[in-house]
Amino acid sequence: MRKVAIVGAGQSRYGEFPDKSIKELFLEAYQDMAKSVDRGYDPKRVGAAYIGNLGCGGFQLGNMSALVSEYVGLPYVHAMRIENACASGGYALVTAAMDVMAGVHDVVLAGGVEKMTDVSGLKTKYWLGVSGDTEYERLAGTTFSGLYALIAQRHMHEFGTTREHLSMVAVKNHKNGAQNPKAQFQRETTLEKAMKAPMVAAPLNLFDCCSTTDGASAVLVTSAEKAKEFTDTPIYIEGFGTASDYLAIHDRVATTTLEGTRRAADQAYKMAGVGPKDIQIAEVHDCFTIAELLAYEDLGFCEKGQAGPYLMEGHTQITGDRPVNASGGLKAKGHPIGSTGTGQAYEMFHQLRGDVQKPTRQVKGVERGLLHNVGGSGGTVVVTVLAR
Amino acid sequence: MTLGISGYGVAIPRLRIKREDYAKAWGSFSAAGVNEKAVAGFDEDMLTLATKVSARALESVPLTPDKVTRFAFASTTPPYTEKLLSGTVLAGLGAPGDTYATDHISSTRAGTEAMLAGFEHLAANPTGCALVAAADAPMASMWDPIEHAMGSGAAAFVLSGFATLAELEGSASYVSEYFGERFRPREEGQTRDLNVKKFSEGSFVTNTTRAATALLKKLGRKPEDYAHVVVQQPDARAPASAAAKLGFQDPQLAAGMVSVALGDLGAASTPVGLAAALEASKVGDRILVVSYGSGAGSDALSFKVVSDRKPAFTVSKEAARKEYVDYVQYLKLKGAIR
Amino acid sequence: MAHVSVPMYWRTIPQRYRLVGMQCKKCGKVNFPPKGVCKYCNASSEFAEVRLSGKGKVHTFTLIGAGGAPPEFAEQEKAGGVYPVTIVELEEGPKVIGQMADVNPKDVTIGMPVRAELRRIYEEEGVVRYGFKFVPLEGGA
Ligand SMILES: [Zn+2]
Repeated sequence: MRKVAIVGAGQSRYGEFPDKSIKELFLEAYQDMAKSVDRGYDPKRVGAAYIGNLGCGGFQLGNMSALVSEYVGLPYVHAMRIENACASGGYALVTAAMDVMAGVHDVVLAGGVEKMTDVSGLKTKYWLGVSGDTEYERLAGTTFSGLYALIAQRHMHEFGTTREHLSMVAVKNHKNGAQNPKAQFQRETTLEKAMKAPMVAAPLNLFDCCSTTDGASAVLVTSAEKAKEFTDTPIYIEGFGTASDYLAIHDRVATTTLEGTRRAADQAYKMAGVGPKDIQIAEVHDCFTIAELLAYEDLGFCEKGQAGPYLMEGHTQITGDRPVNASGGLKAKGHPIGSTGTGQAYEMFHQLRGDVQKPTRQVKGVERGLLHNVGGSGGTVVVTVLAR
Repeated sequence: MTLGISGYGVAIPRLRIKREDYAKAWGSFSAAGVNEKAVAGFDEDMLTLATKVSARALESVPLTPDKVTRFAFASTTPPYTEKLLSGTVLAGLGAPGDTYATDHISSTRAGTEAMLAGFEHLAANPTGCALVAAADAPMASMWDPIEHAMGSGAAAFVLSGFATLAELEGSASYVSEYFGERFRPREEGQTRDLNVKKFSEGSFVTNTTRAATALLKKLGRKPEDYAHVVVQQPDARAPASAAAKLGFQDPQLAAGMVSVALGDLGAASTPVGLAAALEASKVGDRILVVSYGSGAGSDALSFKVVSDRKPAFTVSKEAARKEYVDYVQYLKLKGAIR
Repeated sequence: MAHVSVPMYWRTIPQRYRLVGMQCKKCGKVNFPPKGVCKYCNASSEFAEVRLSGKGKVHTFTLIGAGGAPPEFAEQEKAGGVYPVTIVELEEGPKVIGQMADVNPKDVTIGMPVRAELRRIYEEEGVVRYGFKFVPLEGGA
């Protein structure tokens, strides 16, 4: 099958934008993507558009991909909304790659968009809790904070993970987010502040949880052979993997492992012909602080149960040997559900090309990175390996 | 055939509020003789409580739910005013659908109504098994003095034609026309009381004593033949006037006086009182139960204890398991502020 | 509101009211909640109904505070305060999520023995939805 590359990537600012519609947010990301294509972007070459989106508060559930595509000037394409909860964007990217690999289209748009702050507080909570197992988990009175709290409590019990470990994830990602002009929260926080935040779902407090975010992102995917027509420095999709899991945590083999991550990573590493040790930089799904710790373990960055110490040793700091979430992650950069996966691709595209918008966040000399995008509490997971 | 009780169970919600908390909030506490009362949790209602207490009654025999041929549910505060209620309890227990089930919900006499319904079924079906559950948490406006006494609790009895705990010796009833005391007009959620004190007391004493007198006469018994007498407890003082008029002494009332620690249990008042009296009884003891429902009417039932066997969940055990709430928490739980 | 339609809820009454599990006729393991194909052997859709005891031990838990409750449980959190949600490992093997009642949240621990009982879960369209919650097992283990 054909090799695939990313030749352009754009992202809107992440945050709360009451003045912008879902269409306008997507336009911002799309135009940013178009600008990033070194030899120029021609919409007429685009054959398909895969758009990640969860629900947009329910206002345009049907045909939303056609809506945002035509708004930005892409009518008449193979437009599809991709929905796998918070992993929608990551799946949109992989679906675009599969399309190009199969030779159906040569140039494909993958993107995502979400508008989380247009609806009332109660409705936001409604939408945040629709991707777990509704019949059992939702009706037990949990949204995702509660589900990840169940995982965190057990992780602390089994492996001695501490309150400080959790908070340190937030501190690290806020530090990175402070250097990201497109992040929702561009301010640092202290360990003390993060540890003492009000409890949401014990043991998780407010600083363990990502916020609700508006935002959009778009990447341009082409076959490797055509990539050079767009840029001298394409970023290749070396490998990807996806895996679903039992939707409800209580059905899973282990409470403290996202089996979907393990299996998706295995596939991605195999396809790329690499292992975890070859990953120099990663954007992982830190919707909750515990989720980043799980990712370290399940992606093979450290042994099971050792994520806390691994973090505290500094490996994943922006100055460490394998920076994780240099963008600020979902925690600080923001988590506009459907956009998150392609937003991670936007960050990695620029990190690997060495042209990050603000140089203070640029990790130097990295050639291979990993994207990890999780739907819900692990019901769907997609892992992608990118390289220069 | 010996009609009677073969098992029973008790369930009291875990939360309590003390009279002092009412006194702090209102300056006084209008529930005579009540020290504290039980409060149902946010996720409890009279069907969940009835399900729990029914399972306990069956386990005390022990008996599996499929043996139940008659079910009667009693409460003045069911979660719906129209909808058959018993089905929730039977589905919760896993009892068969061909069980004849009735809901008794119009007055605080409902508890003994349900017991008598069970006994009537057994008289016609001697090999059957009747399960009777009374669960209540009476509700009135927080402004109404009758609210102060209102607590929560439940008791259930397994009745059969082969009584192994207490035999039913007989029953008598009295019904009459009274009004203005403890009523809930259609479309209203809260019970009201016009507080015409002497008039209401007259109804209470008239109905309870007439039913009890008729039963004593029918059985040829005197008050001193009874170890325990259980009278409806809208508060912890009301039973005394009726009992005294009948010739009973205070010590005979003591065991069944559950309102002191649990409050007014409405339709579950005499059933929980009976459970407390059974707990305190020895073989050969007689127990007289006299219910009262406003509007008005009373049932009187006479039991003779034939076994010392005590169930796992007694009134004293359930009353001891508690955690206190303050008045603001109480208002929130009752939905009085929302 | 999490919209779970009345018929959809009704179909799960055996599970919600009295924990009826599905015992695989091939491998003998109990699936709860039920699956279309046995999740243990992945080889059989033939099951026998078994009523579970409802007893088990807390495998993990969380305490849901003001920001963590979904809208249909917001009133419960406001009126009754922080509520515990647990995953309980049942005696018969399966794990299942459920709220815990009749307990001071600060007393909940991993490993504590519990049993299921019927409670109000939430209300939708005026209809009370009942289901099991866990309460501390009387007398401990
Ligand atoms: Zn099997």
